Amino acid sequence: MSVSPHETYAWLQPSAEEHIGWDVDVMYGPWPRHHRDIHLDGVRAHLRRSPVAGALALSTRGPLFDDAAGNAETLRDLADCPELLPVGTVDVRDAMTAEDRLDELTAAGVRFLRLFTCEQAAEPGFPGYRHVVKLAIDRGMVLLHDGDPRRFGPPLTGRGADVIFLDLHAYLLADFLLLAREEPGFKATTRMLSGPDSIERVIDAVGPRHLVFGSRTPFMDISPQTLKLRYADIPPDARAAIATKNVEELLA
Amino acid sequence: MPIIDVHAHVGRWQFHLTTGDADTNLAQMDRYGIDLQIVSASEAVVYDAVAGNAALREALESRPRLYGYAVVNPNRIEESAADLRRCLDTGRFVGAKIHTHYPGRLPGCREMAEAFDVVAEAGVPLLLHTWGREVTLLPELVEARPGLRVIMGHAGGDAWREAAHAAAACDRLYLEHCRTATDAGRVAYAREAGVPVERLLFGTDATLIDPCVSLGVIRDARFTEEELERVLWRNAAELFGLKVGTDLPPHM
Repeated sequence: MSVSPHETYAWLQPSAEEHIGWDVDVMYGPWPRHHRDIHLDGVRAHLRRSPVAGALALSTRGPLFDDAAGNAETLRDLADCPELLPVGTVDVRDAMTAEDRLDELTAAGVRFLRLFTCEQAAEPGFPGYRHVVKLAIDRGMVLLHDGDPRRFGPPLTGRGADVIFLDLHAYLLADFLLLAREEPGFKATTRMLSGPDSIERVIDAVGPRHLVFGSRTPFMDISPQTLKLRYADIPPDARAAIATKNVEELLA
Repeated sequence: MPIIDVHAHVGRWQFHLTTGDADTNLAQMDRYGIDLQIVSASEAVVYDAVAGNAALREALESRPRLYGYAVVNPNRIEESAADLRRCLDTGRFVGAKIHTHYPGRLPGCREMAEAFDVVAEAGVPLLLHTWGREVTLLPELVEARPGLRVIMGHAGGDAWREAAHAAAACDRLYLEHCRTATDAGRVAYAREAGVPVERLLFGTDATLIDPCVSLGVIRDARFTEEELERVLWRNAAELFGLKVGTDLPPHM
C-alpha cells in the first residue's frame, strides 16, 4: 500500500457546490456565555469570506435582554445590509406583550419569528409559549424554532404551520422524518445532520423541501456545514433547494 | 501530504444512519484523501468490549490502512487488561480507547483510575472520550502516571474551554476536535490558552460522523501549511510511532 501525496486538498477551498443563497441561522451581538462577542460588522465580514451570500439575522438583544428593543435594533441595523434580512423574536417569558411585538413585526414586513425556548427555559406545554406560537401561526409567520423537535414538533402538528427546526441532530433524524411525513411545512436545518447519509436520508424519505441551510454564524464554524452540502450524494436541484430555493419560497 | 485520522470507528451505531463495515471506512477515506485511520469497534464501545475488539482484530488483518484501538471497559478491568495485551500482540493495534458515557464512568472515579493504570502500563496512547468539566481532572491524573499519553477525544465536547486549559497544563494531553456541533473558535482558543500545535490531532468520528465535518473545522482554523502538516498527520505519526512517507508504505 502506498500513501498518495496530496499536494492540495480539494476540500480546503470552497467550490460552487458550497454556494448558499440563504442561511436562516445568523445572529450578532453580545452573548455572555461565550468568551468573545462578534458584532454586526464582524459577522458581515465573516460571511463575506464564506460561500454564504445571504442570511436571515437578528440581534442577540432580543432573545437575551429586551425583545422589543432587540427587534427595533435588528430592523434599524439591517436596513443598510442588503445581504441580511431581519428576523424577529418574542420573549416567551413575557407572552402578555406578544401581540404587540408581533403586530410591530408584521407591520415592518418581518416574515420569520425566531423562538429561544432553550435560553428562555420554556417547555412545549407552557401557556406563554403556546400563546406566542398560536399568535404567530395565525399571522402566517414562519417559526425558526430551537430545541428538540421530538418535544416541540408534536404540539405544532395539524396546524398548517411553517416551522424550521434549528437544532435537529443526526441522532434524532428518525423522529423528525416521522413528523415531516405528515407535515409539509416542517423543515430542519442541515447544521447537525452530520451522519454520512443524513441529508440523503431526508431527501429519500420526504424530499428536499424539508431541509434548509442554517449555520449558526458566528457561533459555529461555517465550512463543516457547506462541505456537507457539497459532498452530499444528492442531485443538483436538491442541493439548490436546500441552499436557496426553499427559503425563497417562504419569502415569496 | 498524507492525512491520519486518530478517531474513527468500525461498525454500526444505533441511530438512523448508514455506517457500514470496515470497507465503508476505506471508501470514505478514499473520498477525502485520508491515508490512515485508527479505529475502535462500535460494538466494543457501546456493548461488549471483548467481543467488539475480537471482531476488529479480524477486520484489521486484511486492511493495512486501518489500525486499531482496543476498547477498555473500566467496569471489567482485569478482563480488559488481558484483552488489551491480546490486541497489542497482533501488531495491528496501536492504542487503547475508553468511552465514559456507555460504561458510565468518568475521570475521577476508582474504576477510571485503574483503567488509566492499565493503559499506562501497556505504554500506548489512550483515546479518551471527553465530554464535560471532568476534563479539569486530567492533568493531575496523567501527571501521576509517567508515560501515559491521552488524546482528549472531542476536545471536551461542550467543555472545550476547560479541555483547552487542561491540555495547556500537561504536555501529555492532546486535543482532537471532532464533534457534530462545531463551535467556532475552539482551535484558536486552545492555541491562545497555550496548547502548542504539536498537540493538536485530526480526528473524524467516522463512520458515525462524515469526515467532511472535521475537515471543515480544519479549513476554518486557517492553519499555515506547516501547521496543517503537523495537525493532519505528523503529530499523529510521532505519537503512535507510525512511519509515513509520501512514497513509502506505512510501517509500525
